[in-house]
Amino acid sequence: MTLIMVVDDDQDLAEMLGIVLNGAGFEVDLVSRGDEVMDLFRAQSPDLVLLDVMLPGMTGIEVCRDIRAESMVPIVMLTAKGDTHDVVLGLEAGADDYMVKPFNPSELVARIKTRLRRQISESAGGLKIGDIAIDQLAHSIMREGKVIPLTRLEFDLLVALAKEPGRVFTREALLNEVWGYRHATDTRLVNVHVQRLRSKVEQDPENPELIVTVRGVGYKAGVPGTKEQ
Amino acid sequence: MISRKRPWRSSLVWRVTGNSVLLSLGIIWLVGSALFSQISSGIFEEKRSNSISDSQSSIRSIQVQMAVAQFQNDAGIRKIVDQMISVASISGNTAGREVALLHFPVVRPVKNNYERTSNLLSTKSIPEAFRTKVRTSTGLQWARTKITFLGGEKVNGIAVGGTVEIPNSGTYELYFLYGLTSQENTLTLIRNALWFTGLALIFLIGLVTWLVIRQVVIPVREAAEIAEQLSAGDLGRRMEVHGENEIARLGISFNEMALSMQQQISRLENLSRLQQRFVSDVSHELRTPLTTIRMASEVIYASRGSFSTKVSRSAELLIAQIDRFERLLADLLEVSRFDAEAAVMVVEPIDIVQLLRRTVDYLHPSRERIINIISDEETILVDADTRRIERIFRNLITNAIDHCEDKPVDITIVESEDAVAVGVRDYGVGFQEKDSHRLFDRFWRADPARARVRGGTGLGLSIALEDAKLHHGTLEAWGRLRRGAHFVLTIPKVAGIEMATHPISVVPESELSTIVNPEDSEEI
Repeated sequence: MTLIMVVDDDQDLAEMLGIVLNGAGFEVDLVSRGDEVMDLFRAQSPDLVLLDVMLPGMTGIEVCRDIRAESMVPIVMLTAKGDTHDVVLGLEAGADDYMVKPFNPSELVARIKTRLRRQISESAGGLKIGDIAIDQLAHSIMREGKVIPLTRLEFDLLVALAKEPGRVFTREALLNEVWGYRHATDTRLVNVHVQRLRSKVEQDPENPELIVTVRGVGYKAGVPGTKEQ
Repeated sequence: MISRKRPWRSSLVWRVTGNSVLLSLGIIWLVGSALFSQISSGIFEEKRSNSISDSQSSIRSIQVQMAVAQFQNDAGIRKIVDQMISVASISGNTAGREVALLHFPVVRPVKNNYERTSNLLSTKSIPEAFRTKVRTSTGLQWARTKITFLGGEKVNGIAVGGTVEIPNSGTYELYFLYGLTSQENTLTLIRNALWFTGLALIFLIGLVTWLVIRQVVIPVREAAEIAEQLSAGDLGRRMEVHGENEIARLGISFNEMALSMQQQISRLENLSRLQQRFVSDVSHELRTPLTTIRMASEVIYASRGSFSTKVSRSAELLIAQIDRFERLLADLLEVSRFDAEAAVMVVEPIDIVQLLRRTVDYLHPSRERIINIISDEETILVDADTRRIERIFRNLITNAIDHCEDKPVDITIVESEDAVAVGVRDYGVGFQEKDSHRLFDRFWRADPARARVRGGTGLGLSIALEDAKLHHGTLEAWGRLRRGAHFVLTIPKVAGIEMATHPISVVPESELSTIVNPEDSEEI
């Protein structure tokens, strides 16, 4: 059974989330304070965390950062503010996705399922991007024998780019392939994740060589040593 | 700053100093030359009268000697003449007196000619016109002349002439020439002194003016600099106030003004912050319960099959109204964000043609209506906020679909050097010309009697206009009743640049002939 941890200080909303998620076949753990999350998280090790931004005890952004420090579990932020600032802060703290209240419950369930499902179909073959070896079966990447820890979403993003080295992915195409969204134009989601991925895999994140920006279009896998625009 | 490049134009100090130097130059020039001419004419006049009286006594004594020498022979007379000349002439450059004794011009040579000049004096020293004047008059005559020596040396001088009768020889002209060298030296000295004094005076006047003006201008300049810093946002800047004069009062009032401005601004900033805070709090407080309501209603709606007809219909209405409420809340929050000037742009290069195609596909997946996208370019890159541009497109296209009455909708996208324009044209119900500017008012309805089109919040166009303005762009509307409407969004290609061109005119080409009074259309 898949366990989802719901962190929200609003009792009614948390209960309602429990009802909806139970109805979708998930098991739910409810937490109402930010400072209680980590203990329970370590004890239960949930498969996904739904995290409200405004929490008593400790903000959702801080909780998110703490979870990310120990685990690559998918995190979806719940925010009442659609403002760029809050969203970007959450994503930078390590969240994979965010939902702005009031959200459609069926969309929430769909997104949770997408986050839990392995997005890119697994193939046995090893992929390479630059000097990084991608092992799709082990779900890990290595540079010079050292494993670089990535979240599932970051891994999926890197694999999507590495699979088709010549192709320029628009942000919408990436949203579709990696996040599983249709008709979405939330480019912040893509931009922040690309930045996060770059900070982990690029030798110099200021001058990326593995994940190259194609101005006005999107991103593509780069070949290190050749400066492309 | 600028003052270094063109001090004359930009610095009051230099201008006033320059002007006062120029003016005093003129005045000193006038006074100096008047003074000099008076002094020089005085000196000359004195020398002249001295010379004339000196000559007068000399000539008289010579005339007497000559009269006494009547009975002398030639050698005796010659001796007297020699003696006379040598006595009369005083050599010396400064106070010298030269003598010339010249015979009246005659046809035949004179027997005993006593013509003599002192030293090396040349007869050229006495101009012919002056000699004539002396000959024809009885008294003494004088004239200015150039005393010329045989060596070629020339000095300015005064010539005084009279006539003398020499026995057995005839009438002679006797000239005394007085050099003006010493007077000229004195005048040169005076002129130099005047020049020096004048120049020193001008310099001093300039210096004094400069110092005095600086005293006045420095506080003014300081005020200007502080005003610049204030307007640049450094609201804490104040002028230093010394003493109790006018400048100090300027400083005090300036500082009072700055203080009240600072207070006003911080009050407004506070208000704006409070407003933003309020919006954000309302947002959070309203959204959380709305999320619960929404989820609860979805759960109820999902099992509506097991309810009675009344209850199941109620569940449907509930869902629909929650949708509407959500949209209204979102739009209201967006509007209040614009009002609080808290709207933030996320600018990135986007392909606006692709965005338009995608938005049309999304809004109209069934393709049952005809929506033409007319574009010469496959891609047009602009710096813009994707979310906002897409929202404008959604608003305009939804609007067109809602009002097109099943006629086709034409969407044109045209780029120019600095701008991109998107025109959305429908041929449906349209609106009255007089309403074209009220369309963008919040909650405005073209026909209050008619029900609002399904799903609209009444804020769409107002938000679209704000979004366009945020891009430094424009959103214009044209419409005629039953002939359709035309909305044109124009945004600059580079963020923040003012556009010079509008690639699409808001009045459709097919309607240009219908305009009677062009002024009406400009109002739109």
